[in-house]
Amino acid sequence: MFGSIPLGWLQLKAQKLRLVAAIMGITFAVILIFVQLEFREALFVSAVRYHTAMDYDLAMLSPKTDFMVSSKQFPRARLYQTAGFEGVESATAVYMRLVSWRNPVDPSNARNILAIGFDPAEPGFNRLLNAEQIETIKIPDQVVLDRRGRDEYGPVRELLDAGQPVSAEINDRRVAVAGMYEVGTSFGLDGGVITSDLNFLRLLPTRKKSAIDFGLIKLEPGQDASEVQARIREAIPKDVHLLTRQEFMNLEIQYWNKTTPIGYIFAFGAVMGLIVGLIIVYQILFADVQDHLKEYATLKAMGYTHGYLRNVVLQQAVILGVLGFIPGMGVAHLVFTKGADATRLPLEMSAQSALAVFALTVAMCAGSGMMALRKLRAADPAEVF
Amino acid sequence: MGSDSRIALEDVSYSYGKGALEKQILFDIRTRIDAGQIVILTGPSGSGKTTLLTLIGALRSAQKGSVKVLGRELLNASEKALISARRQIGYIFQSHNLLDSLTIHQNVQMALQLCGVKGQDARSRIVSVLERVGLTEHEHKYPRELSGGQKQRAGIARALVSRPQIVLADEPTASLDKQSGRDVVELIQDLAREDGSAVILVTHDNRILDIADRILHLEDGRMKSLSEVVSEGTSRMLNLLEKHDPDSANYLATFSFALARIAYADGEVHDSEREEMRRILHEVARLQASEVEFIMELSMMLKRTKSGLDGRIRSQALDENRAEHFLNSLYAIARADGSVSAEELIEIDAIAAEFGLAQSAKPTPG
Repeated sequence: MFGSIPLGWLQLKAQKLRLVAAIMGITFAVILIFVQLEFREALFVSAVRYHTAMDYDLAMLSPKTDFMVSSKQFPRARLYQTAGFEGVESATAVYMRLVSWRNPVDPSNARNILAIGFDPAEPGFNRLLNAEQIETIKIPDQVVLDRRGRDEYGPVRELLDAGQPVSAEINDRRVAVAGMYEVGTSFGLDGGVITSDLNFLRLLPTRKKSAIDFGLIKLEPGQDASEVQARIREAIPKDVHLLTRQEFMNLEIQYWNKTTPIGYIFAFGAVMGLIVGLIIVYQILFADVQDHLKEYATLKAMGYTHGYLRNVVLQQAVILGVLGFIPGMGVAHLVFTKGADATRLPLEMSAQSALAVFALTVAMCAGSGMMALRKLRAADPAEVF
Repeated sequence: MGSDSRIALEDVSYSYGKGALEKQILFDIRTRIDAGQIVILTGPSGSGKTTLLTLIGALRSAQKGSVKVLGRELLNASEKALISARRQIGYIFQSHNLLDSLTIHQNVQMALQLCGVKGQDARSRIVSVLERVGLTEHEHKYPRELSGGQKQRAGIARALVSRPQIVLADEPTASLDKQSGRDVVELIQDLAREDGSAVILVTHDNRILDIADRILHLEDGRMKSLSEVVSEGTSRMLNLLEKHDPDSANYLATFSFALARIAYADGEVHDSEREEMRRILHEVARLQASEVEFIMELSMMLKRTKSGLDGRIRSQALDENRAEHFLNSLYAIARADGSVSAEELIEIDAIAAEFGLAQSAKPTPG
């Protein structure tokens, strides 16, 4: 009925207090959904920061490794075996281990940090470090530090920017911080240092050079990763995993999502938000239908169809959804801005996720509307006389 | 006229419930209502008035018989057919049933948008109907800002704006005081006359019966003739009066009858004479005005009967059979208490003489 009276909206508007309560309830639900989903998203994005930043087409790892920070070792020889395959351009051996970092300003403060060592002759970290940094880490006991690590590692960035040399203790060995790269934190990782394979072994004398944590294989331009992957897999022993970039990232995400409760908790939080919103909207709409039952029966007696009344209720549901979504998005945006500063996690609202939450909100409201509609059947026009 | 009646009911019956709990509410209702007619439907509560109205209003589908509204059969009608019938009927509800969150203008518009009238056309029709019901200055107010009478007027405007051929009203005066009730009913009457709608008005309110062209009375789900209803009511009222204050009722009846005889002495009763009787009776009795009126009308009727009887019987040329039956009946009454007294015989003789009846058929007394 084009150009007709927007009955649903007028009825909502007539009860200002209830409308405000409804909008506040939905806003709350929207914030809850946003925050939970965004934290979950941040968990995944941050978990694969290094996976994304390193330069490779295929990754080799131990079958026992289920996430990056607790990697298991495998023979370096397996990685070098691949160098002979057609299409393989280079192979970078990578060592990783959580080590203890002492704050250079406040040495009593020790904190775990991810130490990464690689063969600087190979190109695996070309995207992360510039050529100058790759040169400096060849010097004994020199490292580069993640500038987006947590503040507890000390004001290294400020000191370096001020032109002062910074040295810190890693596993009781003094190292010089020669520069900074940029990756960021994740749920399992507060920060990182990158250095050469030789420096890495100096920090961890018990580790053997022949046992590596990851192998980064770079292919020649134009090579199909899965084809090469299949060829290599067939030829080498099955005691290592060979994954494409996507598979490597999925493994990490899978771990956080499925094996740890963290992914589940955030998903559950989002569902809780949805349910809370559902109940609030349902309550409001149900009370609204209840209050207007006589009016709806009157409209039916005048000749309005059940479908018209259904549209009125659904119209109300969608209006509530939209009105609740806007402030909810605003508050969530504020939470993300503050939260990203505090946690260094990649909390930002993408248009895509905003759209998804909006769709969820409207669906939530429409669903509640549908439930409230059952009450509408009770609007018997014969009862109004 | 018959086939183009706005509403035609044939042997309509209706029951609620199923099986052992089934309760029949309407029994073989049969009537026709034509364009321009105002019909008042009365009856005690529980008599089935509302059920009948909802059947005509297509709010339920009829179970038995035939309900034809604007030529459309509603017996076992589908929901869709019922809805389309509803759109051609204007409803006036007991408690106005306006939508609280809409202005008066929007409330009226709700009825109009059902028939697809919109834009400027709709605006002008709403303005004119509100003018007709005298709500022009309240057009953009909400129902809560209006008095009961004004709300009911708005309800009427909503019912009539689409110029329906049928208007149904359920106790439109129930929540109103006497004057606003009267105004509302007269408004319905005027508007319905102008538009030529058929109107059915359900009411308990005796004060508005006079606007009806026809009165239908329902009792226990059956249609009753008006005279039946009036006579039952009258005898009930006489008994009541007798119990309540026998002396004064007696005196008043006698006095009133005497006055009526004088008034009729010259063959006809003038309004001035009625007025004077009313005044005198009021003075002597501590009764309500309506009770005085009632007794006065009764005694007038009695006098009319008495004085008219003479001439009428003569003109009808009472034949032998009738005369005999008349006399036998008089004797039968006299014998009813066991014996015929001398006084009774004298009275019979007097009546026979008065009516000029031959005493040939006179049976032997005792």
